[in-house]
Amino acid sequence: MTHIGELRILVPVDVSGTESPPLDVIDHLGAVEIVLLGYFPVPDQAEPALLRDQYGPKATDRLDTVADEHGNPAEVLVFTHDHEATIDRIADEYDCDAVLTTGRSTAVDRVLVPLRGDVNLDRILAVVADLLLAGNETATLFHSVAEDADPTQGELLLMGAVDRLVEYGVDRDRLDWRLSEGGDPQTDIVELGAAYDLVVLGETDPSLRERIIGDVLSAIVSELDVPALIVRDVE
Amino acid sequence: MSSEPERYDMEAGQMSADEGELERTLGFLEAMTLGGGTMIGAGIFILPGIAAETAGPASSISYAIAGFVALLAALSLSELATGMPIAGGSYHYVNRALGGLFGAVVGWGMWTGLMFASAFYMIGFGQYLVEPIPFLDGRVFIVALGLVGLVLLLGVNYYGTEESSAFQNVTIGAETAIILVFVAVGVFFIDPGNLEPFAPFGPDGVVATTGIVFISFLGFEIIATVAGEIKNPSRIIPLSMILSVVLVTILYVLVMLVSTGVIPFESLGDSPIPVSDVAVVYLGPVGVVAIVFAAIIAAISSSNSSILAASRVIYAMGRDGVVTDWFNVSHPRFYTPHRAIAATGGVTALLILVGLEVETIIALLAEAASFSFLVAYSLVHISLVVFRRADPDGYDPSFALPRPLYPAVPVLGVVLSLVVVSQMATVVVVIGSGIVAFGLVWYATYTRGRVVNEGLLGEAIRGKPAEPFRVVVPVANPTTQRGLLRLAAASAHANEDRGTPELVAVNVTPVAHPSPFQNVEAERFEHQRELLESAHDIAAEMDVTLRTRTVVAPDVGAAILDVLEEEDADEAILGWDGSLERDGNVFGATVDPVVRNASCDVSLVNLTNETIGTPVALIAPGHNAPVVAHQAVEFATVDGAVPTLLNVQSPRGKSDSGAEERGRSVVADAAEAAGLDPNEYEVQVVVADDIGRAVVEATSQYDTVCVGLSGRTEGSQIPFGTVTKRVVHDVPSNVALIRGS
Repeated sequence: MTHIGELRILVPVDVSGTESPPLDVIDHLGAVEIVLLGYFPVPDQAEPALLRDQYGPKATDRLDTVADEHGNPAEVLVFTHDHEATIDRIADEYDCDAVLTTGRSTAVDRVLVPLRGDVNLDRILAVVADLLLAGNETATLFHSVAEDADPTQGELLLMGAVDRLVEYGVDRDRLDWRLSEGGDPQTDIVELGAAYDLVVLGETDPSLRERIIGDVLSAIVSELDVPALIVRDVE
Repeated sequence: MSSEPERYDMEAGQMSADEGELERTLGFLEAMTLGGGTMIGAGIFILPGIAAETAGPASSISYAIAGFVALLAALSLSELATGMPIAGGSYHYVNRALGGLFGAVVGWGMWTGLMFASAFYMIGFGQYLVEPIPFLDGRVFIVALGLVGLVLLLGVNYYGTEESSAFQNVTIGAETAIILVFVAVGVFFIDPGNLEPFAPFGPDGVVATTGIVFISFLGFEIIATVAGEIKNPSRIIPLSMILSVVLVTILYVLVMLVSTGVIPFESLGDSPIPVSDVAVVYLGPVGVVAIVFAAIIAAISSSNSSILAASRVIYAMGRDGVVTDWFNVSHPRFYTPHRAIAATGGVTALLILVGLEVETIIALLAEAASFSFLVAYSLVHISLVVFRRADPDGYDPSFALPRPLYPAVPVLGVVLSLVVVSQMATVVVVIGSGIVAFGLVWYATYTRGRVVNEGLLGEAIRGKPAEPFRVVVPVANPTTQRGLLRLAAASAHANEDRGTPELVAVNVTPVAHPSPFQNVEAERFEHQRELLESAHDIAAEMDVTLRTRTVVAPDVGAAILDVLEEEDADEAILGWDGSLERDGNVFGATVDPVVRNASCDVSLVNLTNETIGTPVALIAPGHNAPVVAHQAVEFATVDGAVPTLLNVQSPRGKSDSGAEERGRSVVADAAEAAGLDPNEYEVQVVVADDIGRAVVEATSQYDTVCVGLSGRTEGSQIPFGTVTKRVVHDVPSNVALIRGS
């Protein structure tokens, strides 16, 4: 088992709007490193350079304001036709372990960790361990099994995951787990997530387009009003 | 994760958010569907009828010729686009090469050409909707449907779409598949009798038709207009432009052969929806529905990309001050260039409306668009020649036409474009010339008063541009950098006849794993900043232009080599601590790869004294001697001294009176090869049995010693003589080891 050490988290922020995004959560993550990505969505009709000419200074100011409020992390500003592609590129370039979406949480006490199976499990657990070791939140591991499947498989997965987090040095008192049977995992996560401050999700399966936040995840993320931390599958 | 070490060039602003990066989002597939999707439009669904009418079955030859003319343009554009991959396409290259006058002509020509094309596509759209539906009839409906389609497109583009390339890939794929089925099945239904006579209107008809069908190839240009958004532009731009032209040409020729082979060309010529009329013969009603579907998709996607490209052209013109920036203000909420889109759409709508009055509107629009772009491409070909001749700084295309394609492609391109233009209908030539004249008048009345842009034409005619003579100095140590920069400034000044003196001081911060965060502590940045600031002060004293660069890289030697390459350095001056053959290196781990691989002259300098004073150059026969001699003369200018060129001879026999003479002739040869005047140096010849000792004794009298290293490096070996070794070890003066390029 490999420890990641210091977590580096990419926080994408849309800088085209005037509202400042709800990002309080990053002040409560403990000793993690933040890369703040300000992206300015450019419609297909415009040349990105056109919008940079016009909105470059304004976007820089907004990004600087966000950075000032949250401990002056590293900043990147990108004008892009496709912000998902930009998130992928910057996450890769800056070697980030996870991507954080914005949400209404103002503190981080309870973390929900839905697990799908063995996919990307090592990375997710390593990130959760680092997160818990850096702060003092509690975590609930969650798994949903299909109606006709054997629930003991799911129990084994969750208990094994708890054990591994304990091995990393997380206090067992801070961990619990929940198994859901026969529900739609996506709805379960959204419903359950409302009671938590942060949801940790695994990157979408590598597909043709290879986006970190693919279609399934963006559906979940847009339903959730708490922030989500999406762990990259970089193996 | 890529295993390739990445470098972050801080000068380029990678680490700060000050400027904002521009994401390149279009990959190969997107570029192909953009180019191919724009090309495969009304040009192939409508024009086969008109083409058959004017050239008979030989109209397939017209498509082939038009494709060849487009291919020539694609080749020239590819080189130019990889040299400057930013928005604007042909307009941008012509504006840079030939100046604002031609820039205005091509810019206006392209913009109007795109509007002609857009109107043409939308009328085609109307025809394909009206013809198959029995109760709709006549031109009014065609024009009305064209306008409705245009308004919808403008609405979508006014509000903006985000990342629609996936949708585009699917629609263009479907459209192409339908045409492929049309061709593949149609081949079996060709009646050879229909292809006789092949060219009923002779070669004139074929060439005249080329001008009409050329519009079917407009799309590849769009790839160049969005060059600023294409990933890996140096590879994808040429590949997608050339490949899309070639594939589309083949497709068109086959469609034309099938169409004229299945239906006699006379009846094909009467049809406003020829491809659908052909499909019904062997694919039945299903075929008609499929073709109508493909034609509609094609018209919409072509028109849409034309509007998109038009806004890029206007943006580029506004950026260069050729037109007002007013068009480039983007919508405060949708962020689209709504004024440019509205203006483009408004004119396009008027052009569609002209269709109510003019029966031959479709051929007219096609030819007028073709005319504008043919004129633009002729100027693009000329621009390529201008860029090659002027070879401006920063123009370094990764795709360069090899000989004999250069100059054959631009020459043939201009000639063929003019041949096609000369065969066009008079009314088209009048309209086209009118647009060119408008561009000229625009330049004279608007642009000229605002921006001065003479282009590179003058430089191209004069041939020899004002190039810099660039000396690169890696600096790391504040105590030696002054001496190194003084030597570099002297070298640059002494080479003023070869170019404007310019110094580049580069500091490389080594890191194990380069990432914008790790390892580069604030302290090191501070050190770097001070170092480069004082470099600027020194340069100001020396009256020489200095640029500084900072690089973070895992391997300092490799990073220096990269900088030498990027800067196209004429000379490099490296500091060195005088150590030899330590830790398995000849001079040092950083210096060795530079000495071994740099493609410019390299001087390794061990500065032991402040004074450069009078240099001495050790001259031995060989190809390196002139470089060493010249370097000594350059270094001598630091203190205004006259250097000595020294040769040491061993006597042949007891009393060799010829030794002195032999030495002098070795020195004279080297000095002549270096282009030195006899009054620029002193000559000293020493005759001695022990050459090593004589060299050490003689050179110790001077402040600075220049010794050559063989320029030939075999494998990993740096050839290195015992005399050089003795000089390095035993002479207390400054020592410069010089390796010619």
